[in-house]
Amino acid sequence: MRRVAVTGLGAVSPFGAGVKVYWDGVRAGLCAIRPLTLIDTAGFRARLAAEVPGGVAGSGRRGRADRLAFAAAREALQDAGLTPADRAAAALVVGAVGGGMLEAETWYWDRRRGSVAPLRAILPCAHAETLGARLGIEGPRETVVTACSSGAAALALAADLVADGTVEVALAGGVDAITRICFMGFNALRLLDPAPCRPFDRDRRGMSIGEGAGFVVLEPAERARARGASVHAELAGYGTTTDAFHVTAPHPDGEGMARAMARALECARVAPGAVGYVNAHGTATPQNDRIEARALQAVFGEGRLLVSSTKSMIGHTMAAAGGLEAVATVLALVHGVVPPTIHLETPDPEVAFDCVPNVAREHGIEYALSNSFGFGGHNVSLLFRRA
Amino acid sequence: MRPVAITGLGTLGPGVTGGRAALARYLAAPASMIGAESRTARLPERLVGPSLADLVDETEARRLSRVCQLTLAAARLALADARLGPGADLGVVVGTEFGDLHATAAFADGYLAGGVPGLSALLFPSTVMNTMAATTTIAVGARELSLTVNAPTVAGELAVARAAHEVAAGRLDAVLAGGVDQLDDLLIESLAALGAGHEARGEGATFVVLEAREAARARGAAILGEVQGVAWRALPARPHGVGRHARSRAIAAALEAAAAAAPAVGWVYGSASGDVARDAWEANVLDTALGPGVPRTSLAAWLGRHSGVGALGVAAAAWTAGHGRLAGVGAVRPGPGLVHALARGGSHVALVVAPGDEEEAWP
Repeated sequence: MRRVAVTGLGAVSPFGAGVKVYWDGVRAGLCAIRPLTLIDTAGFRARLAAEVPGGVAGSGRRGRADRLAFAAAREALQDAGLTPADRAAAALVVGAVGGGMLEAETWYWDRRRGSVAPLRAILPCAHAETLGARLGIEGPRETVVTACSSGAAALALAADLVADGTVEVALAGGVDAITRICFMGFNALRLLDPAPCRPFDRDRRGMSIGEGAGFVVLEPAERARARGASVHAELAGYGTTTDAFHVTAPHPDGEGMARAMARALECARVAPGAVGYVNAHGTATPQNDRIEARALQAVFGEGRLLVSSTKSMIGHTMAAAGGLEAVATVLALVHGVVPPTIHLETPDPEVAFDCVPNVAREHGIEYALSNSFGFGGHNVSLLFRRA
Repeated sequence: MRPVAITGLGTLGPGVTGGRAALARYLAAPASMIGAESRTARLPERLVGPSLADLVDETEARRLSRVCQLTLAAARLALADARLGPGADLGVVVGTEFGDLHATAAFADGYLAGGVPGLSALLFPSTVMNTMAATTTIAVGARELSLTVNAPTVAGELAVARAAHEVAAGRLDAVLAGGVDQLDDLLIESLAALGAGHEARGEGATFVVLEAREAARARGAAILGEVQGVAWRALPARPHGVGRHARSRAIAAALEAAAAAAPAVGWVYGSASGDVARDAWEANVLDTALGPGVPRTSLAAWLGRHSGVGALGVAAAAWTAGHGRLAGVGAVRPGPGLVHALARGGSHVALVVAPGDEEEAWP
């Protein structure tokens, strides 16, 4: 199997468009969780979310999520400096959940009056269709849906294709726009905090939803070196497992989560002690953070590891989370800076790690892990190595 | 890459329900299940009856949505057909075009009718397309990779191709791979509004069990067929559009993976479904890759297009490879053939399927 390098990064986050804007916000520990404006929140307990600010660039004929995906994917491709021939043969793997649901909801809310055009883009696969057509990508095309781990699963599947020689280049990531269904659903489950979320805090009360897109370009490390590409990091290993336990609840012991992390380490042939930082799934629900901490402890032991949740700043961006958090993890390796967990005032005694409260920390790291876990028990861990 | 064996089949849909024996009976004399007016092939609304009572129990029938019941029933049929017990070492790859769109509409209707108090926390997880994979992994205890792939019309073939790729690469030893879709009135109305034309649509679920061939032989499994090469690529086209390019990288890559040349392909299961422009594009692609005159058929012509029928085509190809009979066509050259599917928008999938242990495996 070939080693897999990350040679392109792209992001549209609740801080705005672009990787630099994203990293500046994350590094500064800014909060992008604000009153939700995209949809009517009257009557709901929680009314906050992390929206992408300003008008999202791109044709109004395209759905919001399509435009988010296009901007991030194009940035990643430009960053990698690929030729048109590289693009044409590249794999395209997109993690998505909501598809064009935001626009389709408007159609449905109006009792199906008006144009049916939004229905063409309602499915999650619409993003890959749009990206493929507009960016000239004709290699293996997949849309993967593993709930909140979709973006990370896309990276893992793309890495498979690069590692085993199916393709020379892959563009992979995740995207989601805020939708009414998502906002209402998490409200109905009472999983949203009325205030900005507080991962790993003893008094946390739930998550904040967000939106965005995060994409990476993957290629064989040798090929990247040979063409003089700038290698941001290596995707050294990944693990994908399933809880087979419950549709919405993780296994109480975190067994599936721990197995995904252990698989990622095993895949990279790396000992747990080599990992310096974990970008946690860290949703800020009481259950997730407690169980994820338990799983981390099972794999890494207590104490030394730095663990933080970028969701404290940009909310849970659903299928985009795996992509955006992979970008943050890579940048943590590049800059030697661990992003903070903001709003963390009273560390949960059940979390046996330094969760980097409120202020980013300079810390040289060789290996960093990014966790993503989804409803349905889909666990994905991505292990990155500093270039 | 390891050889990949097909060791089990489970399918539930109009026209054919069961395992390998049911499929063999159907393929010997395929009948159209498509209504002349509706251009759809549908199952009864209530699925659980005497014939399915041992596949989806009453509790599951009460708790799971119809499309999840379809998925679970087909998964259990496939495991039984493979004589493989439920277990932690299994992976699950589900292809779907529409997921549980019915639940999504019902969730929205709850709010529209009753405001915030009308929202159902129970329905919400079903609005995400992974709901069928999630409920199936829980029911059969599958703890390896579980994945849902979404694609327009080719998701079933794509799921089997991705799963076969994972087995061949050694990342999975055994996997349930297939597809599922259900029709409902909202979906049919929406497809009609979008101008689906004469395309025949259907519903149902199909899984095949894929295993590393040597492991399958070691446990004494009867091998229905082998997946010798898979590939999926995209042809240039606008989203939802029909393209003009006919040179298929997917077919070339699948043949290369199978160490086969185009003349080795004796027949084709394609994806023609009555969408005239798309069907013509696919015919052009196949003619360009294989030359004209290679016998071809499409199960969607009788059962309607859905993700389950895409996976069913892979099992049907295993039967044809061993028996030298192509459904609805007649005698063809036994041996390797091609399963091919092409969607509007350009996603396309190719699988080279070869015979298994035809003497012992097929009834």
